[in-house]
Amino acid sequence: MIERWALISGLKGDLDTYELIQKDLKKTPGNITLFVLGDMIGPSKNCNALLKRLINPKSNELRPQCIYGWWEEQLLAETGYRGNQRAEALRINKGEEVVKSLLSSVDESFLNWLASLQFGFVELDCGLMHGSSRDVGDDLTSETPPLTLLDRLTRLQVNRLFTARSTKQFHLQLKKGIIDSEVCDLRGNRKQEQKVPQKAVIGIGAGKNYTLYDVGTDNTQFVQAGYKSEKIIKGF
Amino acid sequence: MKQAVISCLHANLPAVEAVLKDIELQGITNITCLGDLVGYGPQPNEVIELIRDKRISTCQGCWDEDVVDGLDACDCSYPSQLAEKRGHIAHQWTTDQLTKENKDFLAKLPYSIRKDKCLFVHGSPNSQHEYLLPDMDAFAALERVETARAETLFCGHTHQPYIRELANGSIAVKVKNADSKDIQEKEMDLPMRRIVNAGSVGEPRHGGTKATYVVYDENTNEVKIREVEYDVELTCKAIIKAGLPQIFAWRLRNGFEFAEQAEDASHVCER
Repeated sequence: MIERWALISGLKGDLDTYELIQKDLKKTPGNITLFVLGDMIGPSKNCNALLKRLINPKSNELRPQCIYGWWEEQLLAETGYRGNQRAEALRINKGEEVVKSLLSSVDESFLNWLASLQFGFVELDCGLMHGSSRDVGDDLTSETPPLTLLDRLTRLQVNRLFTARSTKQFHLQLKKGIIDSEVCDLRGNRKQEQKVPQKAVIGIGAGKNYTLYDVGTDNTQFVQAGYKSEKIIKGF
Repeated sequence: MKQAVISCLHANLPAVEAVLKDIELQGITNITCLGDLVGYGPQPNEVIELIRDKRISTCQGCWDEDVVDGLDACDCSYPSQLAEKRGHIAHQWTTDQLTKENKDFLAKLPYSIRKDKCLFVHGSPNSQHEYLLPDMDAFAALERVETARAETLFCGHTHQPYIRELANGSIAVKVKNADSKDIQEKEMDLPMRRIVNAGSVGEPRHGGTKATYVVYDENTNEVKIREVEYDVELTCKAIIKAGLPQIFAWRLRNGFEFAEQAEDASHVCER
């Protein structure tokens, strides 16, 4: 049977969208693993119903594997789960009112579960992160310099990096590249030519926009919940 | 105009004095220090005071940071638990020895110093604890220099002096955005950049006993690695007398500094 990953993020408390995605996935052929790459919570909606559902899925639903995202990080920082840190990034970018809204949108009974979530997953040769291994807020897009993207892949020692922070859906393949390196030290000189390995960074989208990844063929599909999927992008 | 770049002095006063003398003999007055004034060695106060007296432009090293803020390095800082234990003994000894005035001096050191197109840091632009080893992934090395918006990055921390030139680079990408039907193909040239590691004055790890530093000629853009002999025995005796781990003296005397070398050259510190 085809093995597929469904990668979703940025639900921000939207249980209706989550149910729509679950409905979609029931119709999607293959053996599907559901990954939720963070931002399950947000300041605009009460998130308790969604969190409850993620923790206790219905018997006929896919059980999600979740990591924390930028919004969870802000909440955990503000509620003392990150030592002396507070939600300063949120405070600076969105203001005190949004910090208060975030605190009121998640019942404190969910904090321990949120704090228990991992930073990311490494499955096969793929990294599944909210931002990147450098930072949960690392906003990678198709416009990010390739050198930066290559660095994020190298840090994690993976060939594919699935990222959610930008909310964009994109597939960027590092096709080819080369660099000359010459080192001079007390042992003498040595030259080396290094080539860019064939790697890719995939933006999985947010909310209704999610991504299907076919593990066997390396194909990526961008999907909007409730609609037909985009054309399959061949793996490289 | 020439300038000297020194790093990783590690409280080794005879080595620091010998290197400063060597710099003076060349008529160089512009000196930049990349930190780690303390740690391992027996004369932390004396070395700090010498650097302060000479008003040498200095950025903060990982030891300088840890002595002020407490130990918080990631696993990459030591190659073994034994080495880590020794490091912690030296950390505690140094913390106990330093005067308040000298601790305040270390606390106020900047993370980096920028001079025109050159950036001076201890480890990397990301962290004082990150090793930029001479054979690390070339693209990752270039990313460190480019992200820091420098043409030449001067660093230390590895205790191995080297000059690395990264040139003739290019990357081609193929991009598909979900909101567009087009597949874009782009190829871009990468800039030529250089990393210069000043090695270590007080605790060399190049397989020999000589202190190392580098001289940068701004006119010719050339960098030369300098090796300087100093009275190693004097430092070794002071290490033993201070009650620091004797292995620190043994390594200096024999040039066996590989004992403290980071094991994984490809490691990219995420601290």
